[in-house]
Amino acid sequence: MLTYIKLAWRNIWRNKRRTLITASAIVFAVLAAVFMQSMNRGSHEMILDNMVRFSTGYVQLQDYRYDDESSLDNSFFFDGSVKDRVMEADPNIDMVLPRIETFMLAANDAATRGSILLGIDPEKEHRFNELRNRLTEGRFFEKDESSVMLAKGLAERLQLSVGDTLVLMGRGRFGMTASGLYEIVGLVEFPLRDLNNQVVLIPLPEAQFLLSADDYITSLLIAPGHERHTESIARTLNETFADDELVAYTWAELLPELLELFEFDLAVPKLLTVVLYIVIGFGFFGTILTMTMERLREFGVLLSVGMKRGKLALVVFLETLFISLIGVLSGVVISWLIIFYFHRNPVELTGDAAQAVIDMGWDPVLPMSFAADQFYTQGFFVFAVAMIVFLFPLVKIVTLNILEAARS
Amino acid sequence: MALVRTEKLSKVYNPDTVPVHALRDVSITIEPGEFTSIVGPSGSGKTTLLNMIGGLDKPSSGKVFINGTDLTGMKDSKLIDFRLQNIGFVFQHYNLIPVFTARENVSFIMLLQKRDKKEMLRRADELLESVGLGDRKDARPKEMSGGQQQRVAVARALASEPKFILADEPTANLDSTAAMNLLDIMLRMNKEQNVTFVFSTHDQRVIDRARRVITMVDGAVDSDERRDGTNESGDSTGKGNSTGTGTSTGTGTGNGNGNAQKS
Repeated sequence: MLTYIKLAWRNIWRNKRRTLITASAIVFAVLAAVFMQSMNRGSHEMILDNMVRFSTGYVQLQDYRYDDESSLDNSFFFDGSVKDRVMEADPNIDMVLPRIETFMLAANDAATRGSILLGIDPEKEHRFNELRNRLTEGRFFEKDESSVMLAKGLAERLQLSVGDTLVLMGRGRFGMTASGLYEIVGLVEFPLRDLNNQVVLIPLPEAQFLLSADDYITSLLIAPGHERHTESIARTLNETFADDELVAYTWAELLPELLELFEFDLAVPKLLTVVLYIVIGFGFFGTILTMTMERLREFGVLLSVGMKRGKLALVVFLETLFISLIGVLSGVVISWLIIFYFHRNPVELTGDAAQAVIDMGWDPVLPMSFAADQFYTQGFFVFAVAMIVFLFPLVKIVTLNILEAARS
Repeated sequence: MALVRTEKLSKVYNPDTVPVHALRDVSITIEPGEFTSIVGPSGSGKTTLLNMIGGLDKPSSGKVFINGTDLTGMKDSKLIDFRLQNIGFVFQHYNLIPVFTARENVSFIMLLQKRDKKEMLRRADELLESVGLGDRKDARPKEMSGGQQQRVAVARALASEPKFILADEPTANLDSTAAMNLLDIMLRMNKEQNVTFVFSTHDQRVIDRARRVITMVDGAVDSDERRDGTNESGDSTGKGNSTGTGTSTGTGTGNGNGNAQKS
């Protein structure tokens, strides 16, 4: 085998320039494909990350009716013993975040807006999503306070600021009237537009009191030690709480529309990648075609002296593989380095583009995804192209007339 | 048992359109240890005959036996293996693997035979020594002269320890010094190691030194001259007079039955 590898390796360098040009074309294809994917997926990852950290969590435990009807009536009892059961269910759970969430009217003395009241444990939220760092004005409330923090967008709409009083009106658990006056102690800027325009943050005990829902929460967010444990934790929790009318959902199950939207958004880059590889495939094919046709005589001679067609095909296959490997490995290494740099130092947007992104509630940067699969899938693509390209010499070798080849 | 035997070997190209009779009922035998030239003008069928004997082409009719084995019905994959184990080839254009060194070219055939690596290298070195290229083992074909490349080709042909070697115009691309050098080597191997050589050639120098000369004309054996004094009847089609080639001292004339005579 070593001799065949040696033969194939040396054969590809018989025409160095041609091999390098072909490998460079593959490098370019890999680079372009990875870059395209990385940019698209970078934005998606940023949105998803924000969604997960500020909205759904990686895994969410709910009453089994809550998904169909997000009402306080479908909240569930949560105390220390439930927390202990959750934590003990799976050692990969890092922490849990109880939340109570409902729709309320938020008003000042002149205007009223619909809002999302979010009762949180401030310290745990900060540990999970660094909420404190998103404070733009005022201070971060404590757990036992009777005050609120307003999302910046909502504060602007209601023309309220720190120190003002917010009126909250709505319905508590089982139809109880819920209303209260709260001092605004801080303004928070969320990285998601919907949250930024609607959220009123309130300490969990105060929210439970306001909503007549002592010891009840609407969702328990579960933070795994590592993201890869998301699925297994959800499975374990579903087994553990099967008799408690509680259901665990992963973030992917909670955001199916968003994932579908991302899939759709990725369709164009994927199509472009396929087109790119078709173009590169033709270039690759040209090289292999030339390498084959100019060596027909050599093939004929090798078959004459006793080399089996299968062995000859193996050598040409190795040649095809080597060229594609040189291209794909170089492409992956170069793109890895470039993407690594931009992943760490994302391009900052300026001007109208930056403003448009800020308006969406996102940071004005061009995030790049560093997901491993976008690198190794290129290897798969190039290998597939190489296999298709290899069909030509394979057919040629199998059907080669030794005499005609030796005379060519 | 004859090493090579052909029975009424015929080859017709384009039988359905414009038939070209490349071989007509050729029946010859070659014994072990012969040093035989197949000669004749272009288109006389000498290369076609060589290809048939080498199992590279299939006859339209007739049979080819190598050491008693009939090649004519053999499948392609078996023929490849048969050639590997029994026949050595030397080509006009040397046809060495350009990316391999002389030593690798010679040992490659033994690799195909799945021989032991150490033995392979030892034998490759020995063969290169015997063709006078002991100091050029690591040279690649492009670093060697035509004569040197053809000597590597001979070493390669011998590497598989074949029953005989077929050489198609081996000296056609060589200058006279290189050609004589190559011939000396092949003759020495023939004499010392009893290696059987069968050539197709136009080269008078090869013809002059061959111990048997089979002359082909229009696809048939016109004469079959043995320089050891034993001449055979050749042309089975009974063609008219033709000019055969004798020893280096002159040319001989074949009679009407195709018998060539040593002059």
